[in-house]
Amino acid sequence: MSLDADDLAMLATGFEAAMTGSSPSADAEAALFELGWADVLSVDPLGGARAAFTLLGSTGSTAALLDDVMAAALGLDASTALCLAFSVPHRAGPPGRIVDGMLVVEGLVSSRIDSADTVVVVAFDPVTNDTNVFVLDAGQLRGGPTAALDPSPTFRRVSASIPLDRTTPIAITGEWATAVALARVALAHQLIAAARWMLATARQHALDRVQFGKPIAAFQSIRHKLAESFVAIEGAASVVAAYEELSDPLVAALSKSAAGKAARTTATHAQQILGGIGFTTDHEFQQWLKRVLVIDTVFGSSTSLPTEIGTELLRRGEAPRLIEL
Amino acid sequence: MDPTVFREQLTAWLDDHIEELTPVDGGSSLDADMEHYFRVKRALWATDFGRYGWPDSVGGLGGPALYRAIVGEEVASRELADASCWTMIEVLAPTVAAFAQPHVAAEFVPAFLRGDEMWCQGFSEPGTGSDLASLSCRAVKVDGGWTVNGQKVWTSFVQFSRRCILLTRTGEPGSAHRGITALFVDTDSPGITFRPIQTQHGRPEFAEVFFDDVFVPDERLLGQANGGWQVAMDILPYERSTTFWHRGAYLHYRCSELAAHLAASAEPVSATAAKTLGEAFQAVFTFRARSRETQHRLANGGQLGVETSVDKILIATAEQQLLEAARELLPGVIEFDDDPRSALWRTDYLYSKAATIYGGTSEIQRNIVARRLLDLGAES
Repeated sequence: MSLDADDLAMLATGFEAAMTGSSPSADAEAALFELGWADVLSVDPLGGARAAFTLLGSTGSTAALLDDVMAAALGLDASTALCLAFSVPHRAGPPGRIVDGMLVVEGLVSSRIDSADTVVVVAFDPVTNDTNVFVLDAGQLRGGPTAALDPSPTFRRVSASIPLDRTTPIAITGEWATAVALARVALAHQLIAAARWMLATARQHALDRVQFGKPIAAFQSIRHKLAESFVAIEGAASVVAAYEELSDPLVAALSKSAAGKAARTTATHAQQILGGIGFTTDHEFQQWLKRVLVIDTVFGSSTSLPTEIGTELLRRGEAPRLIEL
Repeated sequence: MDPTVFREQLTAWLDDHIEELTPVDGGSSLDADMEHYFRVKRALWATDFGRYGWPDSVGGLGGPALYRAIVGEEVASRELADASCWTMIEVLAPTVAAFAQPHVAAEFVPAFLRGDEMWCQGFSEPGTGSDLASLSCRAVKVDGGWTVNGQKVWTSFVQFSRRCILLTRTGEPGSAHRGITALFVDTDSPGITFRPIQTQHGRPEFAEVFFDDVFVPDERLLGQANGGWQVAMDILPYERSTTFWHRGAYLHYRCSELAAHLAASAEPVSATAAKTLGEAFQAVFTFRARSRETQHRLANGGQLGVETSVDKILIATAEQQLLEAARELLPGVIEFDDDPRSALWRTDYLYSKAATIYGGTSEIQRNIVARRLLDLGAES
C-alpha cells in the first residue's frame, strides 16, 4: 500500500516545519511522531522514507529517523524511545556478533541513543549461522565518542561487549537485508537532496561572485563543473526512482552508491567554485560537506558499494536489466 | 497492447526463430551485416512486430514509440543486427514522416521501415562539427527544384543508402540557422559521389559525400524553404530517446556478457575486479534508469527538449566506462586476441571513443546543461 501524492505533500509540509523549527533534533523527532510518522511508516515505508529523508537532505536537519525506518522494516514499533545499532562504516552486515556468550557490538548508533530507553541489536551467531535480535537498555551502548567529523551528532561509533544474560532476545518479523535495502534508499534520498542544496548554493555563488569584471559563472570551467554535478545528481535520482518500480536489493545498493557518488562529486565541485569562503565556518557549506561524507559511509559507501554490486553480478552470473519499459 | 505482453510475444517469436535471425558471419564485414540487417527488418515487418509504434499513414499499426524501443532492445540483446544500423530508422523516419509532402512520405517511408532500403543523414561538414548552424553546402533555387553543390562528412551507411536527408545553405552565408533548408535526396542522383572514411575501429560505416550540381525536385523539400533548422531540431528527441535506448540495451547486454565471463572463470575474481565491474554496471544502469523515464515521458505525450543532454552525457560516460572495464577485466584480449568475440571487444572498445564526440560532443552537452538547465546566462 502507498500514500497518494496529496497525502505525502501535506505530510512533507508538516515535517519541514518540524525539522526547521525544532532544535535540538530530539524535539524534531518528537514533533514528527505527533504528525503521524509511525503510522506513515507502517502504511507506506518507502513513500514515508522518501518524503522525510529528502527533507533531511534539503533542510540540513539532524533528526535521527533512520532508526524508525529500520524498526518499521524489521516489524518493530517505531517510537522515540527506541533506537537501533547500525553496521560499521562502509559495510552492511549485522552490527552484532555472538562470541563466547557475549554480544559483541561494533558499528554505529544515531544521536537517538542519548534519549531512547532501549536499543535493538541484530546479531549474527557464527556457530549456528543464525541471525538473532536482542534488546538492551540504551544506557548499555551510551558513552562512545561523539561524531568526530560532523559536529552535529548524527551518527557515532559504538563498540561494546555485553554478556548475553544482560540482554533480552526477541523475535522479529522482518529481515535485516530488507531493512538495509530500505535504509539505503532513504539515505540515497537524503544524499541527493543534500547534493541539490550544494549545487544550488554553488550556482548562486557563481552568478554573484564577480572577478575580472564578470560573474565567474561566465567561465566555461565553472559552468562545466556545475553541469557535471547536475548530470550526476539527475542520474542518481533516476536510479533511486527505479527502486519504486522494483524493490530488488541490488537496486537499493545501486541507489546508495550512485547517490553517494553524486553527492561527493557535487561537494568537490561546489567547494572549488565557492573558493575561500566555502573553506570558512562563516559559510554553511562545510556543514553539508561533512554531513555528506558521514552519510556516504552508512550502510555501504560510494567507494565500497561498487565491489558489493560487482560481486552480486558475479553471483547472478549476469548483469540483470532489473527494470523494463 | 500492453508493453509487457508485447515483449513476451516478441521474445517468444525471436527465440523460436533465433537460428534464421542470427547472423552467420556477424561482425565479419559491414556488407554482410547490412545484408543481415535487411533480412531481420523484413522478417519483423512481415510478422507485424516491426509495425507497432508507427502511424497508419506510413504502414504502421499505431501506438507509442515504446514498442519500437522494445523491438530494438530485444534485437540488440541478441546481436541480431548492428545497433547503429538498426537505429537509423529511429533517427530519420519520424522526421521525414512529419515534414515530407504526404505523398512523398507515403511512397518512401514504408520502404525504409520494412527493410527494403536504407537512408542516410547529410548534416556534418568539414567546417561544421559541433556548430551545425554554420554549414555551407549550398542549394540554389532553380526551375522545378534546387541545385546542390558542396560536401558532407561523417555520413553513415551512404554506400547502402537510397535516400539522404540533407541540410543545405539557402540563405546568405552568415544566415546561420535561419538560412538552412532540408532536402530529401535520392543518392543515385547524377553528381553525387562519396569516399569512405577509414576509421580507427575498422568499419567503413562513415563517408565523405560530394555534391556537384545535383538536382533535387521541389516535391523533395522537407518542411519550408529556409525552415531546415526546425527539421534538424525535430530529429533530436527521436535520436535521444529510442536510439539511445537501443544503444543502452546493447551496452547492458555486453556488460552482462562480461559478468558471465568472469563468473565462469576458474580463477577467483579479485575485489578490485569486482569493483571495476560494479562501477561499469552502475554507469550502464544509471543510463537505463534515466532513459526509461525519458521513454515514458515521450509515451505519455510529453515533449523532449534540452534535458536529453543529460541522457547523452550519461550514455557516453557509460559506454566508455564499460569498455575500459572490459579492457581491464579481459587482460590482453583487446590488444592481442583474434577470435570473433575478442575482435568484437576490440571494435567496441575503439568505437566507444567516439561516444563523447558524435551527436554533439560532451562539451557541447555541458554547455547546454549550463545555459538551459542551470540558467547560468551567457558564456564569456
